Amino acid sequence: MRKNALKTVLFAIMALTLVITAACNNGKSGNSDTTSNESGETSSDLKPVNLVVAFPMVTDQKDMELVQNEISKITKEKINATVKLVPIGFGAYSQQKTLMLSSNEQVDLMISGLGTHSQDVAKGLYVELDDLLEKKGKGIKDAFETTIGSDILNAVKIKGKTYGIPVIRNMAQDISILMRKDLVEKYKIDASKIKTLDDLDPIFKIIKENEPNITPIAKSSNSILTVLNGINGELLGDGTGLSNKDPGLKVVNWFETEENAYLLNTVRRWYQAGYIDKDSATSTETGFHLMKAGKAFSYPNLIDPWFNEDSSTGRETVVVHLKSAPIATSSINSFMWSMAKNTVNQERAMMLLELMYTDKDVVNLLNYGIEGKHYVKVSDDIIDFPEGVNASNSSYFPAQVWMFGNSLLSYHLKGEDPEVHVKAAAATKNALKSKVLGFNFDSEPVRTEIAAVTNVMNQYQVALETGMIDPATKVPDFNKQLKAAGMDKIIAEKQKQLDAWAVSNK
Amino acid sequence: MKSNKLNQIILNIFMISLSVFCLIPIWLLFSASLTDDSEIIRNGYSFLPKDISISAYSYLFDGSLGIMNAYGITILVTIIGTVTGLALTAMLAYPLSRFEMPFKNTLAFFIFFTMLFNGGLVPTYLIYTNIFEIKNSLWALIVPSLLMNGYFIILMRTFFATSIPRPLIESAQIDGAKEWKIFYSMIIPLSTPVFGTIGLFYTLLYWNDWNNGLIYITDSHYYSLQNLLNRILQDIQFLQSSTQMGNKGDELVANLPLGSMRMAIACIGIVPLLIAFPFFQRFFVKGLTIGSVKG
Amino acid sequence: MKNEVAYKSQADHSKMKWTAKLALELRKAKRYRALVFMALPGLLYLLINNYLPMFGVVVAFKNYNFTKGILGSEWIGFENFKYLFATKDAYIITRNTILYNFLFIALTTSAGIGTAIILNEIRKRFLTKMYQTFILLPHLISMVIVAYLVLAFLDVEKGFLNNTLLPMLGIDPISWYSETKYWPWILTLVSLWKGIGNSCIIYFAAIIGIDNEYYEAARIDGANRWRQIWNITIPSIMPYVSIMTLLAIGRIFYSDFGLFYQVPLNSGLLSSVTNTIDTYVFRALMTMGDIGMSSAAGLYQSFVGFILVVVSNAIVSRKNKDNALY
Repeated sequence: MRKNALKTVLFAIMALTLVITAACNNGKSGNSDTTSNESGETSSDLKPVNLVVAFPMVTDQKDMELVQNEISKITKEKINATVKLVPIGFGAYSQQKTLMLSSNEQVDLMISGLGTHSQDVAKGLYVELDDLLEKKGKGIKDAFETTIGSDILNAVKIKGKTYGIPVIRNMAQDISILMRKDLVEKYKIDASKIKTLDDLDPIFKIIKENEPNITPIAKSSNSILTVLNGINGELLGDGTGLSNKDPGLKVVNWFETEENAYLLNTVRRWYQAGYIDKDSATSTETGFHLMKAGKAFSYPNLIDPWFNEDSSTGRETVVVHLKSAPIATSSINSFMWSMAKNTVNQERAMMLLELMYTDKDVVNLLNYGIEGKHYVKVSDDIIDFPEGVNASNSSYFPAQVWMFGNSLLSYHLKGEDPEVHVKAAAATKNALKSKVLGFNFDSEPVRTEIAAVTNVMNQYQVALETGMIDPATKVPDFNKQLKAAGMDKIIAEKQKQLDAWAVSNK
Repeated sequence: MKSNKLNQIILNIFMISLSVFCLIPIWLLFSASLTDDSEIIRNGYSFLPKDISISAYSYLFDGSLGIMNAYGITILVTIIGTVTGLALTAMLAYPLSRFEMPFKNTLAFFIFFTMLFNGGLVPTYLIYTNIFEIKNSLWALIVPSLLMNGYFIILMRTFFATSIPRPLIESAQIDGAKEWKIFYSMIIPLSTPVFGTIGLFYTLLYWNDWNNGLIYITDSHYYSLQNLLNRILQDIQFLQSSTQMGNKGDELVANLPLGSMRMAIACIGIVPLLIAFPFFQRFFVKGLTIGSVKG
Repeated sequence: MKNEVAYKSQADHSKMKWTAKLALELRKAKRYRALVFMALPGLLYLLINNYLPMFGVVVAFKNYNFTKGILGSEWIGFENFKYLFATKDAYIITRNTILYNFLFIALTTSAGIGTAIILNEIRKRFLTKMYQTFILLPHLISMVIVAYLVLAFLDVEKGFLNNTLLPMLGIDPISWYSETKYWPWILTLVSLWKGIGNSCIIYFAAIIGIDNEYYEAARIDGANRWRQIWNITIPSIMPYVSIMTLLAIGRIFYSDFGLFYQVPLNSGLLSSVTNTIDTYVFRALMTMGDIGMSSAAGLYQSFVGFILVVVSNAIVSRKNKDNALY
């Protein structure tokens, strides 16, 4: 009896699984059937093709499929291609990229960059784009030309070849300190007088003395200095950098420089005076959240040059611009579009990419969804949520405008500065550019050393940059360990590549 | 007998303190999930939240995340995975517990070896996606690296070898019973405690698994509960720590209830299992009755 | 039946020639094909799920290139392993990994056995069930969440300890996340909290499975409860203890990444007591994401574990064959 019952249950479950899977597979093949059937209708002489576009996205958008179908209607007509959008969580993106590209799954276009572009190119993840751009992607080049400038597009070349197209967005940013407006007004702080970090001390003192529950300065992302480092030099990764004082291109150990010592001493002074939270090094709350919760008076950040006030945290803040951050390769190549080596059709993928940089409808579908359903037009370029809908309950509102192709083609949400795209284009075009813009380091020859150095940096950097430990005694230890881990070899390799780059770039 | 009663009291006191040790953080978890976020940032976590807020739960259950669908997937996957996993494990462990099994030691080594060495993520992925094409299907949540676990096979084998009296099997053989028959009608009923234990482990494994989903699922229709929740956790972590993202990351997570939501996520993952526990404990009780009364 | 007895005595004959052994095994396979068939689905699964991908370990010796694939990428010898031994950290991470693991194995095992014995002594069944459920709960919570719970206790300003408990005892607040001396204890406590239920439930099942006749016989001989536990319960679960320990030894070079990375909040100041092989590898590859280098680490960890298990299994199996893994 028992035996039979068990058997029956087992079989039933097996059968159920089979049916479910069969159903799923049918669903899939059904989809691809319909796409190929539709193809006959277009008069285009292009062969119909379905293109897969993968990108990171923070939350799943419920109506992603609807938007995908809308976009496919446009692409069907213009380039006889349908589109499949594959959003992947930010946390999983780099792993999923590795997996999809090591198998032969179809991926045509994908977001690249995110700090690993030169390694990815060296490992053969992406298709070289120069010829394709020339043949099928003229519009992209023009889009750069007319907005933020072609030098941005050229800066991400690796060994003279293009493997990624940067997103067209504002890249000119100032190293700034955001301060709570209500407190600035309450204590009559003259923000316009702040020119250097030393000017901040008296202000923090006032806050510390009068507002015991508010931290004078909080960190941005990992430490207080993540953003502020740029005041005195340009970091090239792996603990190396170029000093702002040096007119040439001498790669140095950033932690051995006077410029960094000044910054570390400042932070240490702040920490000892109680201007920085004691748990700042390990806290999971950044300045943004502390500001939002009313716990922080200020935090450093990179801010668009024309912004003097900011309220993204839900609190009015005054923006103190300290210095403009030169546009560096690393800020351009943080988000780019690349063509995966697995693409089924290079030319068509390039044509789709061109649409993402030139077609206003495609860009806005990606950014804001379907008109009437996910947004309503207030005027030509200004949109608003439909009634009863807001950013958090909308069934399509990715809020990642800075990721989809040409962000300067996007509509403005009501309340946004309608001139922002013009300002962005002009500011980026005229912005100060890094003297090593276009240099991409190939880490291949020093992989072992980078692995070891990264570990040493993990032990010291954040603790130093939040003032937890004394730079006077710990920096020498730190540098000794960096040396032991092979820092000199990394610097030598970087210098070699940089010199070669400088010669070929003359 | 008197001292026996005293013993019972001492034992119970010990177990109660152990339970409290295990439960206190869980209580904190639960109360934090009901605390408002700015309250958490201002005053930290507390055992008795001042203002109770269910915003984290309402965010999770407002429908846009598809939690109910994910629950469905998780339950289905857990049931199928546990039952088939248990069946496969028992069918492999039992022969290995019998000395008549040919190449017994070699096979035990064959199993043990899988617990130490693996081909790594990429080759496994290649085989499952290129040969078996399970990406974005329910199979992906059931089959790879979960269905059978060397650890459980060896545990079960040990149970069969130590707890099933050898003479029982021999007498059944003398009666002319077939091996399958012995397995079904004798071994399984005698082994309920271990089936309960391993079954529970499989259930936990399937219920808590998000790695397979992370690797093989990109279509949100197939997200299991843990996938959905871990994706949020992972994204928050990535966006807050990545220097690449800067303020963009902060802005993206700005609308998510942070501290309380993490806790709420953990809570809604635990509750259904609490309901499922008694089911497994029934197995233990059966085991007890077979081992007859004690003490 | 005669045959079977013959097999048994022959199998004990370890000095047999291998051809004779093989012939014997094959004869067994023929006679007990039902057992073989029973095992077949599981073996097949292991073959596909675990053995088939193993060709991939070659990646550890290659400079992996996506366009060329695993087989086409160029060989680079032991280049990928170098970073594991590149700094003086190599000693610290190895030491931490091994010492913590030994401590965790010893504590979780003894606590698990102790709790299982106590649970078995408790007569009210419903209480047993309740306790079991409670102590298993921590097992269900992911390490990311555990990290936040630990933070709730240890937070410098808002934590329960610094805020409530220490002031009550008149102790000054402690900066938990920068003081290395507390962390071996904290990590051990967290590991025990999370692992005790799991370990207890295995031994509890083993104890339940003990044939009651043994206890009855002991009672007739006048053995008290303590004697029964000592002479019957503990020896009966020894095979489990031995096998669980052997399995744990195999993973002695692996550490619980979440415990050592998330729970100390990745605090650099604690790295001398929290850096293990897994956290080192994670940090090292964070910026590079190199498949070759990560498989090299895994291979190294497995290989050391493998050697250790083979040796300890040989020792165990010399003493008592039943307690050995294979």
